[in-house]
Amino acid sequence: MKKHWLIGGLAGVFALAGVAFVQGGGSQDGEGAEGPVESGQPIAFAHDQHAGSEPGQNNMDCQFCHFSAERSVDAGIPSVASCWGCHIAIPGTNHPEEVAKIQGYMERDEPIPWVRIYKISDHAHFPHMRHINAGLECQECHGEIQEMGVLTKPDEWWTPVKELFFGQDPVWGGDNMGWCVECHRRPDENGDQQASTDCAVCHY
Amino acid sequence: MTDGIKRRDFLKVLGVTGASATLTGCSEPERLLPYVVAPEEITPGVATWYTTVCGGCSAQCGMWVRTREGRAVKVEGNPNHPVSRGGLCSKGHATLQHLYNPDRFHGPMIREGDRLRQGTWDEAEQLLAAQISATGNVMFIGGRMGPSMSTLVDQFVAAVNGTRVEYDAVSDAPLREAARIAYGATGLPSYDIANARLLLSFGNDFIDYGSSPVAHNKGLAKMSAVDAAGSKGRFVYLGPRLSTTGLNADEWIPIRPGSEAAVALGMASVIADDVSAAGPYADVLRAYNPAVAAQAAGVSEDSIRELADRFASESPTLAMGPGVGGHHRNATAANIAVMILNHVAGNVGRTVHYDADVSAAASSYADMESAVSAMAAGQVGVAIVHGANPAYSMPEASGFVEAFNQVAFKVSFASAMDETAALADLILPDRHFLEAWGDSTPRSGVMALQQPVMQPVPHFDSKPAGDVLLAAAAHLDNDFGATTFYEYMRNGHMEMHDDSMGDFETAWRQALRTGAVEHDMGTTAAPSQLQAPDVALSFDAPALDLGGDLTLLIHPSPRFGGGEFSNSPWLQELPDPVSKITWHSWLEMNGTTAEQQGIREGDIVRVTSPHGEIEVPVWIYPGIREDAVAIAMGGGHTNMGRWANGSGVNALALLPSESEVPSGAMVTLATTVTVTPTGERRRMATIEGSSDQHDRPIAPAVALADLGHMEEAEHDEGHGELMELQGVGGFVPVPAEGGAATAFPLEGARHGEYADAHELPRWAMAIDLDKCTGCSACVTACQAENNVPWVGEEQIVMGRDMNWVRIERYFAPGDIDATRAGPLDVRFLPMICQHCGNAPCEPVCPVFATYHTPEGVNAQIYNRCVGTRYCANNCPYKVRVFNWYRYMDENVPEPMNWQWNPDVTIRTNGIMEKCSFCMQRIRQVENRAALEDGRGIRDGEIVPACEQSCPAEAIVFGNIRDENSRVSQLVSSERTYRVLDELLNTQPAVHYLKKVTFHELGPGGHE
Repeated sequence: MKKHWLIGGLAGVFALAGVAFVQGGGSQDGEGAEGPVESGQPIAFAHDQHAGSEPGQNNMDCQFCHFSAERSVDAGIPSVASCWGCHIAIPGTNHPEEVAKIQGYMERDEPIPWVRIYKISDHAHFPHMRHINAGLECQECHGEIQEMGVLTKPDEWWTPVKELFFGQDPVWGGDNMGWCVECHRRPDENGDQQASTDCAVCHY
Repeated sequence: MTDGIKRRDFLKVLGVTGASATLTGCSEPERLLPYVVAPEEITPGVATWYTTVCGGCSAQCGMWVRTREGRAVKVEGNPNHPVSRGGLCSKGHATLQHLYNPDRFHGPMIREGDRLRQGTWDEAEQLLAAQISATGNVMFIGGRMGPSMSTLVDQFVAAVNGTRVEYDAVSDAPLREAARIAYGATGLPSYDIANARLLLSFGNDFIDYGSSPVAHNKGLAKMSAVDAAGSKGRFVYLGPRLSTTGLNADEWIPIRPGSEAAVALGMASVIADDVSAAGPYADVLRAYNPAVAAQAAGVSEDSIRELADRFASESPTLAMGPGVGGHHRNATAANIAVMILNHVAGNVGRTVHYDADVSAAASSYADMESAVSAMAAGQVGVAIVHGANPAYSMPEASGFVEAFNQVAFKVSFASAMDETAALADLILPDRHFLEAWGDSTPRSGVMALQQPVMQPVPHFDSKPAGDVLLAAAAHLDNDFGATTFYEYMRNGHMEMHDDSMGDFETAWRQALRTGAVEHDMGTTAAPSQLQAPDVALSFDAPALDLGGDLTLLIHPSPRFGGGEFSNSPWLQELPDPVSKITWHSWLEMNGTTAEQQGIREGDIVRVTSPHGEIEVPVWIYPGIREDAVAIAMGGGHTNMGRWANGSGVNALALLPSESEVPSGAMVTLATTVTVTPTGERRRMATIEGSSDQHDRPIAPAVALADLGHMEEAEHDEGHGELMELQGVGGFVPVPAEGGAATAFPLEGARHGEYADAHELPRWAMAIDLDKCTGCSACVTACQAENNVPWVGEEQIVMGRDMNWVRIERYFAPGDIDATRAGPLDVRFLPMICQHCGNAPCEPVCPVFATYHTPEGVNAQIYNRCVGTRYCANNCPYKVRVFNWYRYMDENVPEPMNWQWNPDVTIRTNGIMEKCSFCMQRIRQVENRAALEDGRGIRDGEIVPACEQSCPAEAIVFGNIRDENSRVSQLVSSERTYRVLDELLNTQPAVHYLKKVTFHELGPGGHE
């Protein structure tokens, strides 16, 4: 425990110094074109409402919206027109004001500036299609996303400190190669490792 | 372990607090922007390809453009194009940088007093129309353009009662005019280089520039490659200076500048039994014989007589006339002389074809001279300049700038600032060719469509020049039947369309998909009879303005052409194929001449001609005659863009403004000069360490006579013995039981394979040095594909060049003799990471950033690299480059970063990098194969950027473990070797095939 005290103290001192140093650097209000919502996302889009299987939820397939996950390195973000394609007829029962924003973007011919949640570093390449075609479920990397509401980015200043003490976010390993490698190393039906752990498979 | 803090924990805390400070401070969260309406043809993360035509130069090669999410990221040669047939030159690759050039205009610019202000297109077009109707006397000065655009310009000029002048700074006018005079042909002759067995170039630098460098490069490589029967074509270069083309010759006859006509006619007189073979030129032929030719050329009579005999006997042969670099005062006659030589040797219709079907107007410098006089005399009210930059590319002596300033209203269509646009009153920025529609006829019977591959770059409010002309015409109450150039062009094609070839819509789509359509034009017989000249011709050596003892050779640059490509950092940083110098200009001078004048390499000298003077550093080059000096065009821009301005000098300042009679081409070989040292010196921005191999077998060759029994030849010379490099004492044989070890390759180490053979491929490459012409297209292709930064002139001087491909150009001292005819043996070697099976870089990396992948690639993992540079120090090939500064962040302004390849990591400072065998392309093909039911990867499916770009088809990549792959087949050749492998046992995956020479070689394939 003595060690943790020391680390905590050090972390506190450095963090405070860091915060003081960058105070003037600007704030981080997640301002969408329609003004901020609490999550920082421009629209309070709820994954559970769309993809959840509870009563009243719509149980949609992930790839209905993330259309290129099966054939491209990128999973794809649905176009505004693709949202509006359904919502032109579905005004939304719980949050009609959020659904109305889609129409706003559509009419202004503007993209919805979603806040990016899932990201791996630029020096690593993650081809979605290889993983989907290998039979992986989206949830294995993204967590039980069909149960999540509005996605938020855990970017409070203390998040990394929290991770230091309590480990990685249980849903998403984030920038954590161990997360990837642990799965690549798992044995396949022949007992060989199921995917290559050669560095240049992802890093080039 | 509970007391105290471990070092690792302490670092973690430091990292954590640093990261949190960053997060709280400055990060606007990263945004993901979806399409509003997704375009059907785009899948995010998957490239979309479009065919188009390269608008870089008059060659108009076919192009494939890779776009990602709507941005053009890479251009490649289109193998379906009937003229260029795949492959692309460095300039073609660099057109992408002109597309994203941050110095492009942001919108139409209107002059107000001393400065230009940005206006709207409406305002600009109305202003143009108003000025035309108010002032009249329109003169349209246009560069090279496609047939539809040309028709539109003609129509526009006719509607406003104006005149049109065509101007191309680097033109083939003398060749075109010669073909007209001698054969009544209307276009440039086409050459079948590939099938010639003896090729003569009278100073024609056909792979550096000219009518079709990529196609000619391909032809030269095919001709000079050894065929299955063990024979190869011979290439003889006759000229005062060895260009890239010349360096590929098997023999060099260093004739005096301007003596091509005498030599060609001297040879023709030997070949023709009877002077009547030359038809109307019999009298000319009578006046020449080898003795006269030898006298004029300054070489021995025997060499000319002997060459003439071979030219007659080693059929089919081909002679190519003086090129753009040899435009002297009798250039048209010199071209005709070479045509006579081809004629008497019976080459017309076999290796040379003349064409009577093309209706191409010759662009002419003489027209520009009269245009300048008209402007100076105040006869021009509105001057419109499109696709040309005469204020830079005409000699100062022409008085263009002063005359242009006399014009009441000056209009430029330049898309970025250049010297001519800087003088204009109205600038109407044209689209880049990758954003616009157009068409091209690279030769008769071929129609290629240029289609936009992306939306216009949004930073720049540009408009196609055709659209502007149509709008201006509409303001002037003219109706050309279209409001956009696209419509205009399509209407034209629809009119020309022959319904017997099927439905227009289908044909149009087909043309867009393949990039080009071939029509059978076989209506008129190709001209093959010599005609009497309709103008006076002089075949004598041209007169030169006397300014000193040294003849000045000014030639277009293989990198910048006439200077229109200069504002590209890729091209600025591309080592010149001849000198290996980047960025700045240099004066080429023979070592003997330099010694006589007390000049050393790097001395800055003043070059003085009767017309002007420039200061430039000297580069000592054995490949130039002692009585000549040479300098390339393209340097010394004053008002073009951030990379071109101030880089090098403009050699045209030394020239008179004079056009050749009768072709009207600008005379570039016009004057002699004196060279005097200024006393100043500079370090050259060169990437070359040494031009000499210092007896190391880096680029060995094999004599043609030794092919088929090389093994014996090598053993005779004591090679094949395993050697070891000692700290002191150089190379010594490796001792083994019973004498020196000879077993090589070491047992079990074939191709650098590991003992545990598994099913994975072993990627390897074969590079045929008999085909490689050193053109350096692969260097720029690699830079474009792999996000390789440019570092700038100062960093190059410090040896920090970052190109992943280095074209070595080797000649030993004494190899090149500029005083007499003789064999020439210059070796080109593309040096990339050799992907050694036994790599010296790997064991010295303390962090495992470089290691061997199971597929045999020497990988570099950027995120592991901590920048110790041990690997680079231990690499015997010097192929690892270190990123000293944040070149990618600091040197790349918006929107040039749009070109970055999203499949390749952007490296930052402190990271080592090198050729990855285009790992991203390997992964792409693997991914595609996996999606297609897990099929295997086909041979030839993975094409690295260098292989794709190579006009000579010298590079082949594939799986060497598959015995049937192309690379395995090539590697089984007796010519195969691996660089320094015998000495260092590095077991590279890159295999080279030795160059084949006609002359006998010394021990180990050296001179």
